[in-house]
Amino acid sequence: MGSFRKGSEMKKKLEFGDKGRNLLVVMIIICIGLMFLTMTTDRVPATIRSAAGTVVTPFQKGVNEIGKWFSAQISGFQDVQKLSEENQALREEIDELTLKNNELVQNQSELTRLQELYNVDKKYSEYPKVAAEVISKDPGNWYSSFVVNRGTKDGIAVNMNVLGRGGLIGIVTDVGEGWAQVRSIIDDESNVSGMAVNTSEPCVVTGSLLQMDSGKIFFSGLRDSDNEVTEGTSIVTSNISDKYLTGLLIGYVSEISLDANNLTKSGTIIPAADFRNLREVLIITELKSTKEEKD
Amino acid sequence: MKRKLIILLLIWVMFIFQSAVFSRLEFLAATPNLLLILTVSVGFMQGKTEGLMTGFVSGLLIDLFYGDLFGFYALLYLLSGYFSGRFSQIYFDEDVKIPLILVALSDIGCGFVIYVFRFLLRGRLDLTGYISAVILPEMVSTVLFTIVLYRLFYRINHSLLEKEKKGRHSLWIRD
Repeated sequence: MGSFRKGSEMKKKLEFGDKGRNLLVVMIIICIGLMFLTMTTDRVPATIRSAAGTVVTPFQKGVNEIGKWFSAQISGFQDVQKLSEENQALREEIDELTLKNNELVQNQSELTRLQELYNVDKKYSEYPKVAAEVISKDPGNWYSSFVVNRGTKDGIAVNMNVLGRGGLIGIVTDVGEGWAQVRSIIDDESNVSGMAVNTSEPCVVTGSLLQMDSGKIFFSGLRDSDNEVTEGTSIVTSNISDKYLTGLLIGYVSEISLDANNLTKSGTIIPAADFRNLREVLIITELKSTKEEKD
Repeated sequence: MKRKLIILLLIWVMFIFQSAVFSRLEFLAATPNLLLILTVSVGFMQGKTEGLMTGFVSGLLIDLFYGDLFGFYALLYLLSGYFSGRFSQIYFDEDVKIPLILVALSDIGCGFVIYVFRFLLRGRLDLTGYISAVILPEMVSTVLFTIVLYRLFYRINHSLLEKEKKGRHSLWIRD
């Protein structure tokens, strides 16, 4: 019995096992080929992406409604749901006011200075903005990018800045007709050039996967010889960034320490925007490069 | 043909649910990897070739929308499908233990490869940190979802087998 079984297994291996293995080798080569192709040509061919996007996003939008319903159910029973709606509206108002207040506080002390230094002729509330709804997030646990329901037909383009409740959320990395992909600033691969609002010294703000649960992001390379930057100092996007508009609020310094080189400082920032329960975002439909051309 | 269409449909549904629903439920510590569950289940129930192709299509879908490196996830999932397909000889009933182990191993394997190629190479050295913050939570939540989903996939597979049996002598049934 045993030897008979072994014999039939071996026969099967000769017939099918090789076929499977050949296919495996072919597919591995195809995948590696694709990887090399994207490494050398930068990104996935935009046409394929946007074609696929137009097929998938409507479904995601639909399912997204189910997801919202689920969240609503989980957040409570019918009356509680009503309350949570009201709460939602109020929270939005608070966020709006916080945003405005942030702006005001920032402006009061810094406006003249910034205006002199950087020719900021607009507050960021004056930038043209488009509201967008988050319809899906990165399906894995390694990255923090998401897709919103606005695309080229709403005037969205790659590298546009995205704002959320309270401050900067991220940047558009890819766009299709009715969707855009946004990489948030808490993503491990995100690098934003920022500056301390009171000294205007530049620094680099990087996201970190390991810090994500604590809700913090890192900054480094900040020159601060007079110890003017302390806990609570606002960090905004820098004027030397080529992708981020100047003066968008990133967050507040929570820890700061001197680097081993005794020149620069680094530490952590608590982002001003709320990255949990991200539902709606605002996309600034003005690119830094075109803005500068206009100026 | 019908079987292939149903698998394609399942990949589609799993992708949409994974990206639009489960990744957004805040009370889940980590998003369960539904596409990996499907890939491993198909591989385990139907064999290496099917597992490999399911994995390839699933991975490609993730690459299309969220990958920077086209083909990276496709390769990972394809290997997972092939790996679990090697155990299809011992597939015979609804027992969920073996697929659970296969899913856990594949998920940890994928997580480890992602860490090495996308994080370690960028100088993120804290392996234990990434294991406890991402790899393990994802593995646990994926395994929990396997308990439910494997049953569903098993039923689908079983009813397809029944229909094929009735129709003609099926190529899918192993002796």
